[in-house]
Amino acid sequence: MRRRLDRRVTGKLLGAVGAALAVQVLSSVWAGATSGTAASPQVQRGFELFSTNCATCHGPGGEGVPGNGPSLVAPPVGAAAIDFMLSTGRMPLAYPNAALVRGEPQFSRAEIDAIIAYLSSVRAGGPAIPTLATADGSLSLGQELFQGNCAACHGAAAEGGSVGGGEVAPSLNVATPTQIGEALLTGPGVMPKFGPEQFSEHEVNSLARYIVWLRDNGDRGGLGIGRVGPVAEGFVAWVVGLGLLLIVIRLTGTKT
Amino acid sequence: MRGKERPVAVCFTLSLLSGLGLAVCYIAGGQPQLEGALLAVSLGGLGAGLILWAKRLLPNEEITEQREPPSSPEPERAALRTEIERGGETLGRRRLLTRLLAGAAGALGLALVFPIRSLGPSPGDTLFRTQWRAGSLALNATGQPLHRDDLEIDGVVTVFPQEHIGSADSQTIVVRVNPAMLALPPGRENWAPEGYVAYSKVCTHAGCPVGLYLAATHELRCPCHQSTFDVLTGATPTYGPAPRPLPQLPIEFDADGLLRARSDYHEPVGPGFWDRP
Amino acid sequence: MIRRAVEGLDDRLAAASFARRALRKAFPDHWAFMLGEIAMYCFIILVLTGTFLTFFYVASTEKVIYHGPYAPLRGHEMSAAYASVLRISYEVRAGLVMRQIHHWAAVVFIAAISAHILRVFFTGAFRRPREINWLIGLTLLLAGLGAGFTGYSLPDDLLSGTGVRIAYSVLLSIPVVGTWAAFLVFGGEFPTSDFIGRLFVLHIMLIPAIIAGALTAHLLLVWHQKHTQFAGPGRTEDTVSGSPLWPVYAMKSVGLGLMVAAVVALLGGLVQINAVWLYGPFMPSTVSSPAQPDWYLGWLEGALRIAPNWELHLFGHTIAEPFLPGVVLPGIVFTILGAWPFIERRITGDDRPHNLLDKPRDAPMRSGVGGAGLTFMVLLTVMGSNDVLSTFFNVPIETIDRLARILIVVLPPVVGYATFRVCRSLGRIDDHPAAAPLRVEIHRTATGGFEGEPERRPISPAALAHQAHHGDGADEESHDEERQPVHDPAEHQD
Repeated sequence: MRRRLDRRVTGKLLGAVGAALAVQVLSSVWAGATSGTAASPQVQRGFELFSTNCATCHGPGGEGVPGNGPSLVAPPVGAAAIDFMLSTGRMPLAYPNAALVRGEPQFSRAEIDAIIAYLSSVRAGGPAIPTLATADGSLSLGQELFQGNCAACHGAAAEGGSVGGGEVAPSLNVATPTQIGEALLTGPGVMPKFGPEQFSEHEVNSLARYIVWLRDNGDRGGLGIGRVGPVAEGFVAWVVGLGLLLIVIRLTGTKT
Repeated sequence: MRGKERPVAVCFTLSLLSGLGLAVCYIAGGQPQLEGALLAVSLGGLGAGLILWAKRLLPNEEITEQREPPSSPEPERAALRTEIERGGETLGRRRLLTRLLAGAAGALGLALVFPIRSLGPSPGDTLFRTQWRAGSLALNATGQPLHRDDLEIDGVVTVFPQEHIGSADSQTIVVRVNPAMLALPPGRENWAPEGYVAYSKVCTHAGCPVGLYLAATHELRCPCHQSTFDVLTGATPTYGPAPRPLPQLPIEFDADGLLRARSDYHEPVGPGFWDRP
Repeated sequence: MIRRAVEGLDDRLAAASFARRALRKAFPDHWAFMLGEIAMYCFIILVLTGTFLTFFYVASTEKVIYHGPYAPLRGHEMSAAYASVLRISYEVRAGLVMRQIHHWAAVVFIAAISAHILRVFFTGAFRRPREINWLIGLTLLLAGLGAGFTGYSLPDDLLSGTGVRIAYSVLLSIPVVGTWAAFLVFGGEFPTSDFIGRLFVLHIMLIPAIIAGALTAHLLLVWHQKHTQFAGPGRTEDTVSGSPLWPVYAMKSVGLGLMVAAVVALLGGLVQINAVWLYGPFMPSTVSSPAQPDWYLGWLEGALRIAPNWELHLFGHTIAEPFLPGVVLPGIVFTILGAWPFIERRITGDDRPHNLLDKPRDAPMRSGVGGAGLTFMVLLTVMGSNDVLSTFFNVPIETIDRLARILIVVLPPVVGYATFRVCRSLGRIDDHPAAAPLRVEIHRTATGGFEGEPERRPISPAALAHQAHHGDGADEESHDEERQPVHDPAEHQD
């Protein structure tokens, strides 16, 4: 009895090893075929990660699956878009067509770079990851551009808000400058695209600088209570303001 | 100090210390949160002390007063009516004078209304026109013209006619879409070159700037009352209280590839008004 | 010292006996009667802080370049008004705290007025002879709303400027005269160089004058007619009981005034309000979200949001969409409010003077109508913040709007009817023998027996009415003799 089990287990083990080897061989052959050269270890790693985590919706080569996920290669979405989605944890989605919401990134920096390398090897092109230098930006220009282009959706203090149809323009409180630059270039979700012909490097640096500045500044008056304005203020006026005063008059006046 | 006095004393003491603290804070340059908190304790200590004093240290007497009757006795009212009528009669007897008085007062009243007319200009046809003319160059908020390569597909920018940057009635929102997706009303075939389409940014509901652009669904949205307009079909309202589409600005690219208006809007921009047909 | 003061004043005014009577005047001091006082003290705080602000505010739309300490706006072109508010907030010592106290006092002012109006309504204090004071009170409310709107629009920031544009569009929507009205009020097509200056005059001169005058009349009438009070042992329509003005009532009132100041000072320092630097200066081609007016205009905002997109076109003219929610609705609301004492009189047939207040349960019809009206206004106010609610509760705006349109029609009558029924049955419970047992005093007689006197307790008007309609049902025989209806003193009126 034990010997037969042993044979079955051994057989299964051998089968698994064989399959893994086959995948390795096939993938390097395939990767080599598509890139025209032997696949680098990074592209290889990217392919593995992509096949396991992304191919269900975006297709094995990123060509898209109708109803599940758009094509990432025709036209190529570019490194900026991939990095934005992965580094903000919006992708991978738990299920097709789920809401795009910021979350914990599922991949490390190296893994994201690998996936980008893989998709670029399938089809190169699209906006590259921008390099920002917020210190070079102007706070004043940033405010002007923000008020003119961003505040309507993201709120006057970048606190985010509903934009209708169940969509949300997110709060920008935790976005890195690079992610801000990537979002401008690629227009994730329902956001419009703001390309390099529209915003120069200096303007993008300024916007990012202002958005980052808003996080720790601008509440000179005290508690920001969400920075949503009169709605929160009215609530506080009734609950705290009139509430405290109701207690005062209950204690001051009589009850008959 | 007796037991009942202590709470009052504590309140007044807190108020005193807070007041001094406020003075120190102020002299040191001030700080909004400290100023507010110290002022609150200073005022509140005084107020609480007074209330506690009134409630606990003063005799709690309830006094009762008689109310006066709600109306005066009839003889008084009759006397008042007689008095008024008597005075009025002497006026009423002199018919001509009374009538002239009424006429003069009426004319004066009318004359006093005229300064109200000075408060503003006649509307005229102001609401029917904007600053856009045939050939007006479109400039963005920083004064740059818009070249055909400047916007990505799914891009959006606000433009104004040259020399009127920031103009409230001329503000125009330009989006770039895939030209194959456009389904504009008939007669507007050459109003949207290369997928660039321009609409008045003044919401047709209550005049707020229609500042949100949901690129993926090609919708312009107004943040004030959530009116939503479909860019592909001529900014027709698809949601919210806006009753009419956003007027479309006919645009074209000139020889240098810069965006210009072909003419002014073909209808008044913004919310409705009585004389709008 | 007191002797010298009394003699000095009386030698000139001969008002000693008046003053003596005034100091001994009875003031009912039930806590619910202090809501109006809260509003009054808010007004005083507004005048004091407002005066300080006028020393620095510049009511001009003239464009200036900002060079102050708030870095993100340095170098920006803005109106002198906006720049002056930045200066108050960032450069004038104690400027920001004074500005914030002023704004918090304003929002609490209207909240206190609203609570006061609700108290007056649900206790029937507006009945004869106090209808005039009810109308004066509504004038105060309207003036308060006007003061608030003009006030928060003075900084010429992006949020309030958007609100002014909406007000302009609402004016435009008025049939026949709308365009002229808008152009005369604003001085031309929006935005004009005049409108900030005009808002300023309204805010610091005309409206405070109206409030001060109406408030004085309001208080004089209360003094002259004497305050109402709740029914209770020893209370009748012909008398008024309370604390004497001096020293108890005056001390409590001054103390309350200081507490009101303390609360708005606390808020003014610790909780940010109207951070205009975050919104940026008003530029008519930009807008931020969420976009709401201050809470007391939220009902109008909600109406504008959920009203249907109907625009009437007749004979070459347009009745624009904002007319219905922006002009007709508030017109109806304030007309009903103003006419209510007379409407109620018509319905109940009760034209007698009343100095004793109802508990809400004593007037089920009024409470029901009030409940329905309040539900309606609260729903509209909540709808004014549908986008904020959508973000906060993670529900699509469209779902909230659909729910709102159903609730606005269904909820007010349901709440109104429920209130009516609850008040009616509460009124009956009050007088049910099981609600509180009658006390019986028992005495030993000289012959060794016992005799007892049951307590005599008055029946509330609601139970009287119920008995008249339905008879007394189960408890006919046993309790009738023990319970006597109170002899209605109103029947003694001339």
